[in-house]
This record gives sequence, structure tokens and C-alpha cells, in this order.
Amino acid sequence: MAIDVFWRIPTHGEPSSLRDKLHHRGDWSQQHGDHIVHKGLSGGHEDGFTNLDYIAEVARAAEISGFQGGLIPSFPMTDEPWAISSFLARETSTFRFMIAFQPGFLNPVVAARMTASLQRATGGRALYNVITGGGGPAQLWWGDVAPHDDRYARTTEFLDVLRGVWQGEKFSYKGKFYQVEDAALPAQLLGQEFPEIYFSGSSDAALASASKHAEYYLSWLEPFDQLREKFDRVKERTDALGRKIKCAVRVDIIARRTEEEAWREVRRGFENLDDAARERYKLFAQQTGDSVGAGRQRSNAPKELNDYRDFIIHPNVWSGLSLLRGGQTQGIVGSYEQVAERLDDLVKLGADAFILASTPHLEEAYRVGEEVLPLVRGHDSAPALRVVG
Amino acid sequence: MSIKFFWQIPTAGDGRYADAQKRIRGERSDSKPYFLPGVTDPRGRRFNYFDHLHQIAKAAELAKFDGLQVRNDPEGDESWIVAGYLSRATRDLTVLAEFDAARGSAVYAAKNAVSYQRFSGGRFAWQISVEANESQRRRNGDYVAAEDLNTRIEEFVTVARHVITQTDYDFKGKFFEVLKGGFQGPLSGQKVPPVYLSGNDEASYALSARVADVHVLDAQPLAGIRQEITRLRQLASTVGREIEIGIRLDVLARETEDEAIFDAKRYAEQSGQGKGFAHNALWSGLTTANTGALATLVGSYQQVSEGIAELAAAGVHHFILGAVPSLEEAYRIGENVLPQVRSLIAGTSQRAA
Repeated sequence: MAIDVFWRIPTHGEPSSLRDKLHHRGDWSQQHGDHIVHKGLSGGHEDGFTNLDYIAEVARAAEISGFQGGLIPSFPMTDEPWAISSFLARETSTFRFMIAFQPGFLNPVVAARMTASLQRATGGRALYNVITGGGGPAQLWWGDVAPHDDRYARTTEFLDVLRGVWQGEKFSYKGKFYQVEDAALPAQLLGQEFPEIYFSGSSDAALASASKHAEYYLSWLEPFDQLREKFDRVKERTDALGRKIKCAVRVDIIARRTEEEAWREVRRGFENLDDAARERYKLFAQQTGDSVGAGRQRSNAPKELNDYRDFIIHPNVWSGLSLLRGGQTQGIVGSYEQVAERLDDLVKLGADAFILASTPHLEEAYRVGEEVLPLVRGHDSAPALRVVG
Repeated sequence: MSIKFFWQIPTAGDGRYADAQKRIRGERSDSKPYFLPGVTDPRGRRFNYFDHLHQIAKAAELAKFDGLQVRNDPEGDESWIVAGYLSRATRDLTVLAEFDAARGSAVYAAKNAVSYQRFSGGRFAWQISVEANESQRRRNGDYVAAEDLNTRIEEFVTVARHVITQTDYDFKGKFFEVLKGGFQGPLSGQKVPPVYLSGNDEASYALSARVADVHVLDAQPLAGIRQEITRLRQLASTVGREIEIGIRLDVLARETEDEAIFDAKRYAEQSGQGKGFAHNALWSGLTTANTGALATLVGSYQQVSEGIAELAAAGVHHFILGAVPSLEEAYRIGENVLPQVRSLIAGTSQRAA
């Protein structure tokens, strides 16, 4: 079975490189108080363009470069993936919109209609990244009162209802969180492909829910041995429940023609860290919350910031990425060949799909699509027969 | 005050006949070829109804409407997805999406709305409606008691407005709860979607008086409209607010009155509903339930224009108009009725000045 490779949509705006502290793209420039210093490239809106116009370019770059589509994340400070997907449905061709969302925020019958309509608007290009983790006050910010383990039960019920109404036969359901009576999608919306589900969450409650509904279990990059154990555990657990689940890795990469050039990119970013980034690192090391995944990432990090090489935890794996920009800590750094090899290593330990990202996402979509993806073998163990030169 | 004309986007089908719901323009079925076998059909499955909706939106913009109203029809495509899709296709139109407060978290709806505003340049507006039929509500997973429906809308609007305009916002109501809510950074400072509500009972009027920007009335003879407007304004003034008035009205306008009446009768036959009331030019039962309008203004371009201008003079400033087929009629109304209405209204306000 061939593997699927997705890109990621930078809804947080972005700098023009990892060395650059200013977010030139979008309206995410560093702010002093309420004053946004820089308003270029569609962040200021005076030119009639918006950050969506840049996002549209990234989506086009991803589809032109051979990615399946892109993960569109959801954070308190960023635009919502449902909005992005519906706005960009018409100006993309093959790009699949991977919508990150927390099921608890939507009525499942409404979500079914939204999804079926989005499938109609895109020719079946919508899929989900179902997220349930996080917790504490952050969840109440979103207006969600359900406690951590209950939220996975709710996710399961949500997907039960969504699948139930999708068939178009009268469907009734009485759960702890959701209840419907004789519900069905209307005739006009029937016959669409049910969205593929990438499921995030590391706790036992998450795995129970994933095993019922997900096609892919999605994890951040972790030390390879830990990731192998995790994937084995996921597959064991879901096999026991009579359902096959595949695994996917969400990983940032820095790929250059030579390994030296790739590490130079990291070193220059690291040497360029400002006090704010150092402070953020300190907070990160102390952070609390009931997300198991975030805790797993933290436990792998050095306590002090001395040398970028302290963060190399495996050949071509650097665990300091969150110093340079928000998000996950571990990424793959190396030559095009090395990055492709590490991705193939991940395939060997259980990955069937990737969500890749690199800054800036527009230019890097072309670079990775042109230079790295053609070297990845996936499950195909036959010697490469690709014509070179 | 400026008058806004919205054109309705029919989410559950559109076509040449009054029973438009049977027609999903743009959609093909493999089992039922549209042409006879002797003629090639190059379309395959390349198009669907969304391509037609795109055509209607462009038509409404080119015909100089001020906005689109995307109907929430349980039999049709979902209004927010349609609204996003059409916002990207238009430049200046307000996109008024109709939905039910049962859709989920008010914070999540507000956050999505902020993205719609950012992407559209502040053109997004909300029409929050109530599903009156209890079994339909249950099909929608909504078990809230009938007497709480208005309370939920009020909480929904209250929470949404505050998280868009404030930070550290706390709320604990019967249906929604937020702790230290509010959008920051790039998501701050966006326009709260103008809120359109409707309903024709005292509780709905009172709710609108408290939280709506616009109350959308059902079509009915002018005397009734005037009474409703008076009552709404009274209630709004008791809570120190002002409210604007809208109307949901279908139009059937032709070059001559005879032609309009001829078509109206044909539509009545096609829809199978017959003619309910006809008060001067106001007919009921011409189109199927999927337009959501209670009555159709029938007449010559001149007569329909005068009818709309009378409503404007009575205080209606938001016209949500619709007709089938939506694409052709958007041009017809935009070319033959709106210019007359606008000059009639300009004349009235000049005389008043």
C-alpha cells in the first residue's frame, strides 16, 4: 500500500525563514502591546487581499508539488479550517482539506451536513483531523465544560451520530452527550464519501475512541523507539477491537542539498534566539495541562539552552524546533537523501502517512515536493529504478 | 437610511419551474442521462449544484444587489459552507447566512465568523432562525424545550458578540459557558456579524428588541406590516435600542401585469398549492416551501417596484427577495425592478426633505 503525504497550512502566518523573527506573511508580526509592527503581504488588508490569499498560494503549491492536501490546524489565535476550506474549495483542484476540529464544538447532525456540502463543493476532498486533547481553563475558553476523559467519550458519540446520519436511512441514537431521532442527511447530500479520519490523542481514552472510528492514528514525531512502541500499542489495541488502523506522523523537516546546509539553517536560527524565545522555552519546560501528547514531547527536551547540538536526539532528528517557531519540538534535519531515508525509517516502524511542514510553507512545498518526495520509497522495498539525471 | 436588497440563494434546488426543489441544476445522474443517446453530453459529472450557486451569486453581484441570503434548508446544502464558498466568489456583497442556534458552541461559531470576516472584508452577517417543528428539531439532534429556544438564541448572540469584541469574558448561562473568552491577536477587532432575527409573536418581537440588529418580517398586507413595525419599535425603545426592519418576500415581475398574472397562475398549478390570499398584488402559495417566503409580490415591473417602495416608505429597509429560477430572475429584478425602486425611494426622500 502506497503512503499518503500531506503538507500543512500555516494559519499562524509565517516569517520568510526560520532565522527571521518577523512574520512578514499574514498579520502575525511581532506585536508591541496592541500595535502590530509590520503589515505586509496581505496582513494589513489595505490592498484588498487578506491572509487567505497567501494560504491559497500555499494550498496551490502543495497540490502542484504532489501532496495529497494539507492539514489545516485550529488554535485560539488562528483562522478556522472550516472557513478556510469552504472559501478555497473552488480555487484548488486536488488539494484535500484536512480539517482539524474538536467534535464537541459542533452539533453532529450539522457537522454531517457541513461535511457533505463541503464534499460536494470540493469533489470529495474533505477529511478530518479529530482532536480532543488539551484541557483545563483552555477548554473553557472555547466554551467547553466537559472533563478530559468524558471528551473522548463525546468524540466517539459524535462520530457515531455522524456515521449514522450519513447513510440517509432514518437514524436514532441516545447517548450521554448526543441524542437524535429519525435523523438523516437529505437526498441532495447523499452518496458523498465519508471523510477519512486522522485521530490525535495519546491517552488510553483517546485510543479507545480512535480504535472505533479513525483510519489513521496521528502522532507528532517522537524518538523513533518510543514511536515504534506507541504505534505497536495502537495497532495491538485496535486489532483487539477488530479494526485495522493505520498510523501517521506529523513532522517538520529542514531539507537542503547537503546536510551541512541543513544544519547551518538550524544553527543560525538557534544563535538568533531572543530573550522572549528563551523565556518561552523556560515556560515550556515547566508547562502543565492534561494533554498526554504535550507531556511526552516535554520529557525529551534538555533543561538548558547552550548549543543547538544538545538537541540532536537521533541521527537527523533535532528536538529544538519549538524554539524557532510555535508547535512541535522535533523535526528531521538533513540532506534530501537523509530526510527521505528517515521518512522511510518511519515507514518501517509503522507509519503509513505523513503530514510534513517546513518554513516558509510556500517555497518549501515546492522544495520538498521536488527534492525529497521523489526519493521516498514507502513500503516498496524493490531497488529504486528511478532514472537519475 | 440606505435600503439593502438581498437575493436569496436557494440551497435545496433551483430550476425553471415553481416546484424548484425537484431541480438540482448542474447535477447529473449516471443512471438517468439528460440527453437522448443520439447526442453527446460533454459534462460528465464535472459540475454540480455548487457551480449553479456560484452563477447565482455572480448574477446577484453583477445585477447590483447588496447581498446574498443563504437559506438554511434542512433538505439542502449547509448554509455556512455555501456562504464561505460564495464569499470568495464575490467582492462587495454582504453574505447573510441563515442558521439555527442548535448548531453548536457559540464561541466556535463566533470564531469561525471572525475568519469569515477576515477573509471577506467584513461582509458576513447572521440570520438566526428557529425550527418550529419539534420532530424536525429532533432530527437535528435538538432536544431543547420549545419555551427555551429564544433564550438559547439570546445567549448565543450575547456570547458571540462578547468574545468577538472583548477579552477575559466570562459567561455562564443555561446553554453556554465561557471562561476568560475573547479573540486576540490577528483575530481581534473584527466586525460582529449583524444579527437578523425573525418571528411573528410577542416573545420574538421582544427578543429582537433586546438583541437583533434587524427583525425580518414575513410578507403580508401593508397594514399588518405597519402594525408589526410599530410594535417592534415600541419594544426596542423600552430597552433603549433601535431596530431595523427587514422582510422576506418573493417577487414575480414581468413587463406587463397580464404576463405576471399568467405566470403566477402557472406557478400556482406547478406548485400544487393553489392561490391562498391575493391582496392587491400579494399572492401566496406560488412557489414551494423551499423559498421560505409566505407571499409573492406579483405584477408589472412598475407595480412591483411601487410595492417595494411602499414597504420602504413604511420603514422596511432590508429586502430579502427571491424568485425562481434564481439566476435568470436575479438579472430580471436587478435590471428592471431595483433601478425603479431606487429612484422611487430617492424621490420620496427628496419630497420629504
